[in-house]
Amino acid sequence: MTVRRVSPTSLAKPVLRRQVLKLAGASLFAAAAPGVLRAQASELVFASWGGSWEAAMREAWFKPFTAKTGINIRTVQGNTYGRIQAMVEAGKTEWDIVEVLPDFQWIGAEKKLLEPIDFSVVDKGPIMEGKDLVTEYSVPQVLFSRLIAYNKKLAPGPATFADVFDTKKFPGKRAFYSKANGAYLEAALLADGVDPAALYPLDVPRALKKLSTIRDDIQFYETNAQAEQMMSDGQAVIGLIPDGRALNARSHGAPIEIQFGLSFLTWSAMVVPKNAPRKKEAMAFLAYALTPDAQAAIAKAYTYGPVVPKAFEMLPAERANILSGGPQMKGKAIIMGEKWWGENLAGVTEKVNAWKLS
Amino acid sequence: MTVVAARRRAPFLLVLPGFLLLAGMFVLPVGLLVATSFTDRAGALVHYERILTEPGYLRVVMRTLTLSAETAALCLVLGYPLAYQLNRAKPLARALILLCILIPFWTNLLVRSYGWIVLLNPQGVVNATLRRLGLIEGSLPLVYNTTGVLIGMTQIMLPYMVLPLAAVMSRIDPSVMNAARSLGASPAAAFVKVYVPLTLPGALGGLLLVFMISLGFFVVPAMLGGPRDILLAQLIEFNVNQTLNWPFAGSLSAVLLVSTLVLYWLGDRFLGLRKLWGAE
Repeated sequence: MTVRRVSPTSLAKPVLRRQVLKLAGASLFAAAAPGVLRAQASELVFASWGGSWEAAMREAWFKPFTAKTGINIRTVQGNTYGRIQAMVEAGKTEWDIVEVLPDFQWIGAEKKLLEPIDFSVVDKGPIMEGKDLVTEYSVPQVLFSRLIAYNKKLAPGPATFADVFDTKKFPGKRAFYSKANGAYLEAALLADGVDPAALYPLDVPRALKKLSTIRDDIQFYETNAQAEQMMSDGQAVIGLIPDGRALNARSHGAPIEIQFGLSFLTWSAMVVPKNAPRKKEAMAFLAYALTPDAQAAIAKAYTYGPVVPKAFEMLPAERANILSGGPQMKGKAIIMGEKWWGENLAGVTEKVNAWKLS
Repeated sequence: MTVVAARRRAPFLLVLPGFLLLAGMFVLPVGLLVATSFTDRAGALVHYERILTEPGYLRVVMRTLTLSAETAALCLVLGYPLAYQLNRAKPLARALILLCILIPFWTNLLVRSYGWIVLLNPQGVVNATLRRLGLIEGSLPLVYNTTGVLIGMTQIMLPYMVLPLAAVMSRIDPSVMNAARSLGASPAAAFVKVYVPLTLPGALGGLLLVFMISLGFFVVPAMLGGPRDILLAQLIEFNVNQTLNWPFAGSLSAVLLVSTLVLYWLGDRFLGLRKLWGAE
């Protein structure tokens, strides 16, 4: 998911510095102007992935929300699961809303780190239909996908997942995400002839067997920036990479095409950590972010798909076409079995690591 | 309190802040983390059983130890001549050498890793140059494999080798070498039989430092390595941040800690490592 999934360590340093600066700035400001302090009583802390994504949210969501409700939104970065757990278990929850990947919907609930969503405030009616998008403890935020991008010299390019695994037809390296839930196990099974409707629970040994057939042609990427680089300079000719990164590379002149028909749809979720200090305001924000207007606004500001189908109607066709969940993917995208992943990530990772090491 | 007693107490008071910092910020958290690894309802040793029985974990431990040892050895090979030159050079040249060693040291790890990828990938600067010179056809596999990890790690760890070595070398009295020469040793013999043994504590100290720090590497192997270059720190991070399995992360940390201590003990037994710290 583009900028947002940079590995945690990579963000640590600049973020810390930025935060310290921000804090220093805020405290100076507060000391100088008591009036500002009072206004901060209705402030919401949103733990985000930072970067250009946060900037987009600020314009599309935070500013209009503040204008409407008077509730300020302060963002912090470093939204790792470990920190949520440490915070909640120390009884010092400072964050009101955290954006997370969907596996945390279950991991977080199981570890009792989350507040239930108040669905009398948050209207889940307009949210896209789909298994597990909404849970007792989470609402979806935006849609994104991992999809197949390929080098133009392979044109017409892979049309099926079997093509992706056919190194005779399309010679060259394949770029896959290094983590087990990077959709390559799913892709391997589909390439091996598994019916998409019967994908989950994943037959991991079968997937690994299929992956073994192209083992030497797989190049794992650790960060999404790396994925974009591999595709841009031709180190890899086919990549299963985040749609945002593929679009970004293409618009910057990378020699790649995007196969919207071969995609795995997933989403990011918003959760409220247990004992969040401003629960009420948090629920109000979640309700706001899920309105068709807000969803259309974020889809215009950043290349993520709205989770509210109605928002697609408010987008120009050429925008809707490139977004996850949009017309080009309709009926073709495989929805990632995030619940299964939430429950099986540890065990499957163990198997995948053993396979990598063998 | 008498003056003598106060004087006797002063060193302890000076040590106290450092001791408290280590105890509070290192020993205690590590102890707690390791303690959680024994507290599973299914039994105290389930996590350790998993490490021993699941294929992969022991291989990762071995991989971590060997990669760290290889990095340390490479650092010694590259660092020794550097430290030697650093010591002999005129002040300006010395400053330049130091700068070259330290600038990468101060550069962000991720930036440095991306830099290596740009240089080393099959389409990268190194391979393109070699191709243009007609030295190779195709490309050398320099990144996304163990070679890439070793290049990246060695560059980062080099200062930890060069600085202790240079410190030891600067303390060697030049007249010792002259004495060896005047007693008939060839320059090579004087170097091997007199100079090198005198620098041994620095080399061992550097090796140890590089090895220990390398054990915790995380970003570099993840980015520059191939599928087989999984180090223990990556698995620990995964268990802490992805699956929130702190007890299992604790057991992995314990395995790393214990294997390091065992290696240190062996090193002390056979190489006399403790002399490095001034003990007899």
